[in-house]
Amino acid sequence: MPTRDRRTVGELLADSDSLARETLLDRSADHSAAMVRTWGQVVDAAARLWAVLPPAAPVRRSEPDLMPRLRQMANGIAASTSAGHWPGPGATDQQLLQIAHNLSRARILVERYGGDVQPTTADVRGDIAAARARIMHTLYVAAHGTALAITEHAKDLQDQLQMDTRRRRPMAQRPSSHEIKAAQALSIRFGVFEQLVGAYVAAHPVTPAVLAEIRPVPQASRLQSVLASWDIQAHRTIVANPDAADLVRVSRIQALIASATAVVSEAAASQGIVDRQVVQRTIPLLDETQVAWSQVARRWAELTSPESRVDPLLVRAASEVRATVVATASNPTGWATPDEIAGRVDLTRAMSALHLNMASSLDVAYLTRDIAATSPTLTAPARQIAMRAQGEAEIAAGQGNTEFEGMTWATERQIAANQLIPLPTPARLGLIKATDHVIASCNRAVAAAAPLEPSESAEIRQPVRAPAIRRSHQVPKMPPQEPAPRGPQR
Amino acid sequence: MRMQQWDTEDVETVAGVVRLLRRAAELSWYKADRGGSRSPHQLFAIGVDAAADEAANLLPRRVRLEGPTPVGHNPAQLLASAEQLLRRICTSDPPSPLRALHSRVSELIWEANSGADA
Repeated sequence: MPTRDRRTVGELLADSDSLARETLLDRSADHSAAMVRTWGQVVDAAARLWAVLPPAAPVRRSEPDLMPRLRQMANGIAASTSAGHWPGPGATDQQLLQIAHNLSRARILVERYGGDVQPTTADVRGDIAAARARIMHTLYVAAHGTALAITEHAKDLQDQLQMDTRRRRPMAQRPSSHEIKAAQALSIRFGVFEQLVGAYVAAHPVTPAVLAEIRPVPQASRLQSVLASWDIQAHRTIVANPDAADLVRVSRIQALIASATAVVSEAAASQGIVDRQVVQRTIPLLDETQVAWSQVARRWAELTSPESRVDPLLVRAASEVRATVVATASNPTGWATPDEIAGRVDLTRAMSALHLNMASSLDVAYLTRDIAATSPTLTAPARQIAMRAQGEAEIAAGQGNTEFEGMTWATERQIAANQLIPLPTPARLGLIKATDHVIASCNRAVAAAAPLEPSESAEIRQPVRAPAIRRSHQVPKMPPQEPAPRGPQR
Repeated sequence: MRMQQWDTEDVETVAGVVRLLRRAAELSWYKADRGGSRSPHQLFAIGVDAAADEAANLLPRRVRLEGPTPVGHNPAQLLASAEQLLRRICTSDPPSPLRALHSRVSELIWEANSGADA
């Protein structure tokens, strides 16, 4: 008979954190598939515990809740995992499972005994803040460990493929390029997860000195809240069997956010808040991202029919984003001037919210690609899509791919009635290619903007009015026990 | 009046509004996409999209939205036509989603006639 678990909530959280650190010690590529399969359970357990903990600060002062965003992202990863080429069904990771178990056990304890805890005193609030910081830190480190394991795995597969190609092994015995791409995509998506949670961890570091310290929590800006809500809603809609019209709206709003990020970045550079040279390098990439999202939106629009409806919650979230971008960065004649924008919002925090969204939009792009690549139910009106399929087939033929030569995509009857027909393969490939372009441009934009990466933590650590955004080539001064900006350290 | 009490004519009117708004959105996106990256017209086009989506979501899914493409190449005029139709059914005590749609379309007309899209 197993002995009863008598550990306290604090001990369970400390053990979870320690287990997460162990994933870095033992980051074997062999574990990566099991880690990916178990990830959803870890985040689910963390989110459930997060939900039952009392707030560490009064609600009106608190920042937008990150956990629902992380949960949706984990749901998206789980959906891709089961639908994609890698890792598919199989074993789970025992370390991550133990973390999930610890977090679930902590939730049961909080639910059972935490009802009387009122966050009225500084000590109690400090305890709650420490518990929340521990949960986020666990996710941060575990996401990093998983991302590293996947990267190792993808590299191993690539090496194996090269060796097998040299040795002319039968194709069936070589790793498939789909598998390698799926692993690389998941590695990037875990990186995005890590980046999102990293902003929280940097603001609430897990150090003995800080755990009991009450920090002033900056009031959430409207832009921060709206973009966080948008991100959550976009993930929710996309993982719930979306209509093509939903994907058009998602793509259009992501394009708008890319434009707004460029406009606000320019304003921040003109006010001397961020490095002008870095902004000049980043802006063409943001513009490219905007164009790529718009292109994807047009492609998805070809799949809509008059009967298409957009998820009402997505419509509401999109309207909120539009209203906030209008209030932040536009005037009746177009985009607002840098001075106007600086007069309306705290540019540091606006940059922080927009750049964080740019990073998470990478995950949205991957989810969109998954739907384009794997959804068996995609249909489109015959007239438009037959033309598109023919165009794509001709492009393929021009590149030497004669696979589609002589094929037709719709019958005369289907075209006459403009019936909905299953998406022809060349049109699907075109859609995937357009989404790949979004992923590539978004990746480049996020990488170029990394030196600008603003962190609320800087603002919190330096209450004086110092530039909160790191300038290019400046190395942030971090206390020795705090996590490094690009990934956790042991 | 509740939306459940709409007669066939009201439903047809809202379906007509949806078609007008969708066509206005299509034309607005054409202009926004031609404006290249960072086109400010995308803000207006997203607004028209949202109005079209809200209008479509007012109707039950069984209602067919297919119909003739509205005539005209000016989003402002199409929006004005949609507003006129909405005014016809927003008489006494309209349901709040319908009232909200009416005011959103009115704001878009103002934007179309006075802002970057004028």
